[in-house]
Amino acid sequence: TPRPQQNANYVFFDRSTDGFSEQAVPRAKAAQLKLEHYYKVAVDAAVERNTRRVEIERKLQGETMMSDERKLRHLQQHGKKESTFLRLRRTKLGVNDFKTVKVIGKGAFGEVRLVQKTDTGKIYAMKTLKKEEMLKKDQLAHVRAERDVLAESNSPWVVQLFYSFQDPVFLYLIMEFLPGGDLMTMLIKYDTFSEDVTRFYIAQCVLAIESVHNLGFIHRDIKPDNILIDKGGHIKLSDFGLSTGFHKQHDSSYYQRLLDSTSGKQAAPRAQAARNSVMVNSINLTMSSKDEIATWKANRRKLAYSTVGTPDYIAPEIFMQQGYGNECDWWSLGAIMFECLVGYPPFCSESTHDTYQKIMQWQNHLLFPDDVHLSRESEDLIKRLITSADKRLKVEQIKRHPFFYGVDWETIRSIDAPFVPHLRSITDTSYFPTDELNQAPEELPNEDGGPNKDLAFLGYTFKRFTISSQGF
Amino acid sequence: SSPVTQSARPLYLCSPFVEAALVKGQFKNIVMLPKYVDIMEWVAVNIFDFYTNLNEFYGVITECCTQQTCPTMSAGPSLNYTWINSDRKSVHLPAPTYIDYVMTWVQNLLDDENVFPTKSGRDFPPSFPSTVKHVYRQLLRVFAHIYHAHYPQILHLRSEPHFNSLFAHFLAFGREYELLDAKDVKGSSNSPVGIGALWERWKEMGLLEA
Ligand SMILES: Nc1ncnc2c1ncn2[C@@H]1O[C@H](COP(=O)(O)OP(=O)(O)OP(=O)(O)O)[C@@H](O)[C@H]1O
Repeated sequence: TPRPQQNANYVFFDRSTDGFSEQAVPRAKAAQLKLEHYYKVAVDAAVERNTRRVEIERKLQGETMMSDERKLRHLQQHGKKESTFLRLRRTKLGVNDFKTVKVIGKGAFGEVRLVQKTDTGKIYAMKTLKKEEMLKKDQLAHVRAERDVLAESNSPWVVQLFYSFQDPVFLYLIMEFLPGGDLMTMLIKYDTFSEDVTRFYIAQCVLAIESVHNLGFIHRDIKPDNILIDKGGHIKLSDFGLSTGFHKQHDSSYYQRLLDSTSGKQAAPRAQAARNSVMVNSINLTMSSKDEIATWKANRRKLAYSTVGTPDYIAPEIFMQQGYGNECDWWSLGAIMFECLVGYPPFCSESTHDTYQKIMQWQNHLLFPDDVHLSRESEDLIKRLITSADKRLKVEQIKRHPFFYGVDWETIRSIDAPFVPHLRSITDTSYFPTDELNQAPEELPNEDGGPNKDLAFLGYTFKRFTISSQGF
Repeated sequence: SSPVTQSARPLYLCSPFVEAALVKGQFKNIVMLPKYVDIMEWVAVNIFDFYTNLNEFYGVITECCTQQTCPTMSAGPSLNYTWINSDRKSVHLPAPTYIDYVMTWVQNLLDDENVFPTKSGRDFPPSFPSTVKHVYRQLLRVFAHIYHAHYPQILHLRSEPHFNSLFAHFLAFGREYELLDAKDVKGSSNSPVGIGALWERWKEMGLLEA
């Protein structure tokens, strides 16, 4: 009740939430937070828009040879771009606004398709993720936050996310399409790389991982499948915000269970399910490492598609319950570098369970084969990455390592890549295993998971576009 | 300004609530048409945002805005808005019904590709400016009702800095693009709109300069 005070206009008001429903306070808080976010974004957007305008005006002023008429056209063009950008904020996109050209990849929780936006004809990669699978992990909020921040990063090393939307069954991510495929496909094709080629990719990965770390994130799941190749042959990391925590292989308790059950016959039912062979348990003991490698290679792509995934590149500290820092990504890089030079990752085994055990006892299992010649520098770098977290090299030490002698870290993103994809069109998918994918069984949407399930995905829809999207 | 007795003074005109604001400074930066940008596009996206944000706050107090508490769409001691029904008759509706009609109508317009185009290459219809003025006037009425009938609840939920800023922004924007007439905001002398006085007060405070 208001109590009039001395000061004519001043009132005291006793605030109380008695009589409101239980949802009222959190709902009010949510509305407040959304509005705060709205004004923050509005101010930032105004500043950025201003910067872009001043930039183009200044550039045009410097063009002494350009006619005023052309300058005007440039400015109008700029205005059009900005207007399109504003329009995007009102745009509600759905899966019907995109036409599938081809399925180009399969991940643990869905597919990646090459799509064309029907009205603009522009090409994107669309990743679908099954909500039901993701709900099984309760890290949605965390994952979303990470995803949002990354989506806003304009890093050239991270695959750009343009838009996301959802329907009752799936989340959809619309990303830039990287036509060069991924490093896994490339490794399957070439088996191994020369030291020079390896140096190029690993050096690019160093900068990419560093940029992720500088944003305050840990990737945790760097593997050749997540290293994508753009049209110039340079690499980008695929959207790791989502890979974090969703996948079974990151669930430390899953690994704990695996470990606990090593003695039992029923060990690792999931790992078995991911394999082709049924007899694995008994053969394991007698398998030569050559056979192991052969089996690993034969199953490589299937592993990538399975929900179990491959733990081959994951640092041992991630499996332990004690927490870890961003050093874990450098271990993964070491494993990838080993694979580039040797042809298979250091701890590959017949089963994920065996891989896991090898990683835990990496001291006994990091072996360099006799029949592959590695330079001293590369072997040394691998050993300084695949080592205990406290001894692992830090980014500055990595960059100074003799293996990278001659690498110009400033310009490496713009130099010629060892493999530049030859593309016949903007929808060329020859760098993707599309034939294999077409044979993979179509996933039928497992109809709705009840009305409450959608609640977890409230506010998922993401609409931040960078101006570089130029008329999405 | 008219002499108001202290007990009659609505809370939204009292200190410290009349000064409460989430956004400090002037709205100029976020209201002015960005250079080279299409004015329709700019107005459209702002209407979209005002609608979304207002809807969010109405959602917060809808449990307090019922047929019983608000049998009419009140916006001042002697002002109840009427709705023009399909027979072109003006009828009194309970505030929640009235507001539901407004919000549904606006939502449908926003979703209508012919009114608020989103597809690339589609233009705004020639009727767009007048449609938008209509929308703006109805959204103003929703603000007016909340200020008149539900401001204490806004205070209980500690939302007044936010809600004030949203409304001040709405007024500043409406003024800049001539989406509101003075009579929409102030009403007539025998049935003034409650928020008319707030508008005057904020103008004096220099809050609405754009
Ligand atoms: N933006 C893209 N452009 C081209 N191809 C892509 C793109 N994103 C993914 N792919 C292809 O799809 C495959 C699977 O994608 P991705 O690895 O993102 O799925 P996932 O396994 O579900 O996710 P995660 O990386 O989190 O395990 C990639 O290996 C790559 O071949």
